[in-house]
Amino acid sequence: MLLEASKVSKAFGDFWAVAGADLNVGEGEIIGLIGPNGAGKSTFFNCLAGDTLPTGGRIVFDGKDLTRASPEAHARAGIGRTFQVPMTFEDMSVLDNVMVGAFLRHPHRDDAREHARRIVELTGLRPDQPGRSLGTPGRKRLGIARVLATEPRLLLLDEALAGLTPTELQEAIALVRRVHETGVTIVIVEHIMEVIMTLTRRVLVFNQGHVIASGTPETVVRDEAVIEAYLGRGTRSQSRASGNP
Amino acid sequence: MKRFYSPWIGPCLLAAGLLLYPIIFSSPFYRDIGVTFLLAAISASAWNIVGGYAGQVSVGHSMFFGLGAYTPLLLYTLWGWPLIAGIPVGMLLSVALSVVIGLPTFRLSGHYFSMATIAVAELIRIYFGTWTLVGAAIGLQGPATGRGWWDLTFRSELPYYYMFLGVLTFVLYVTFAVERRRFGFYLRSIKASERAARSLGVPVRQTKLQALALSAAFTSAAGSLYAAKTGFIDPDSGFGILVSVQMVIVAALGGAGTLFGPLLGAAILIPLQAATNTWFGGSDSGFTLNIFGVIVSFHGSGAALTFILYGGIIVLIARFEPGGLCELWRRLAPRLWKSAHAA
Repeated sequence: MLLEASKVSKAFGDFWAVAGADLNVGEGEIIGLIGPNGAGKSTFFNCLAGDTLPTGGRIVFDGKDLTRASPEAHARAGIGRTFQVPMTFEDMSVLDNVMVGAFLRHPHRDDAREHARRIVELTGLRPDQPGRSLGTPGRKRLGIARVLATEPRLLLLDEALAGLTPTELQEAIALVRRVHETGVTIVIVEHIMEVIMTLTRRVLVFNQGHVIASGTPETVVRDEAVIEAYLGRGTRSQSRASGNP
Repeated sequence: MKRFYSPWIGPCLLAAGLLLYPIIFSSPFYRDIGVTFLLAAISASAWNIVGGYAGQVSVGHSMFFGLGAYTPLLLYTLWGWPLIAGIPVGMLLSVALSVVIGLPTFRLSGHYFSMATIAVAELIRIYFGTWTLVGAAIGLQGPATGRGWWDLTFRSELPYYYMFLGVLTFVLYVTFAVERRRFGFYLRSIKASERAARSLGVPVRQTKLQALALSAAFTSAAGSLYAAKTGFIDPDSGFGILVSVQMVIVAALGGAGTLFGPLLGAAILIPLQAATNTWFGGSDSGFTLNIFGVIVSFHGSGAALTFILYGGIIVLIARFEPGGLCELWRRLAPRLWKSAHAA
């Protein structure tokens, strides 16, 4: 297993945002994490990326225990992440943004620049464009480009495709596919079912800090617990007819 | 027609202007303004490394300036060391202080870091004001006449001018090198978003600490040069809050986080200060009005006007151009270029 997260929990006071969640990710997989708002997906994601210190549980990546490691240590180990709201380095150009990530494995400027250029080409952005002039799709792409430049083995995409138009969404799905084809393992948190159904082979469903279901996208969308989590009690029969959670 | 343009034209013209300034303006008054300008530019450029590029707004940089100013004079007073030998000692002490200050305060961020730096600088100022070894409130004096060039005590402003210019060139060169290297990219990413920077593997605390140490070393050198030129230092002129505020304002006015911003800021602010001091006097002066039988006295000085000037500049920058004049120029230049060519 590339990533083994077992019994991960996170409490904020008396509230358990994540209550003993497990996730095992094999090399080369694309896994989807779904769940209603407030289900604990992002907190779990933050624990995996080192942004939030778990209250309990264990996170092992490629044999190394990263449970209490910093985000920098996660990046060095090979775990990269994007953010729900892209945190673009506004005053820097697209290429400079990506170079910040590239420096992790290429300390010399020319090497980092060369590597960053290749990544920018892959994402279809203009290298000299100022970060602050990018719209939402551009910023999302830049977020992916920047983290790809760190050469991650595991990529955590936190709603990286939200807020895009249907055309932009198709382009973004194609981009994630291209990234996956380069050998990067991907865990994706997403609300857009089209993304989950198109990209993933395995899905975990979160609700109230727990994993309530897992399996192929086709099976989880028909799971009664999942439908109840999304729509509430008394809506199962209606949802069963539509085939969507 | 082939257009001749090189990015080096501006810096070359600037260098020529700075080299020729004391020859063109040869009166002591203008040379003194030149020296003060260079000192302000060195201090602000040093502050710019941590405050401008890394976005860690220290309002207590006078602690390094004061330490740099006190050290050569103290070593001279105690053991007769030449002033030039005291400069690296002051720099080392300032770097050590920056590490001591940076380790706990870089756990804080935003306004908390700024407040912590003010508090530490004020504590040092108050302590130095009561410490007899460093002359307490009276301060320390340097040599009245130099035993050699190594005492950095000259009668003319000219040697100070070129010495300060050399130091400024070195500080700008180092800043330019920092800008282009990984360190500079890391600083800018930290300024934009620490969280995003950390997710990309940027060692945030270590990078901030390195920036503070480098900035402290240069600020300390500026303090030493100031002490060498004035031949005197006391707690207020070394560690006073106005010393720190001037660095922040000079850099912010020109453009914090840009190479030439502090230079531009100093080029505007220092002549302005000189003008207020000249027109309104350096010491207390004032006038009294009788308004319908009520006597109203107005007392002030050029020095007091400096505070008003600083306050006004802070308001203007914060309201209209947080990026400073360099940012304004960067935005306006393409438009001006276009309209000039369209005409």
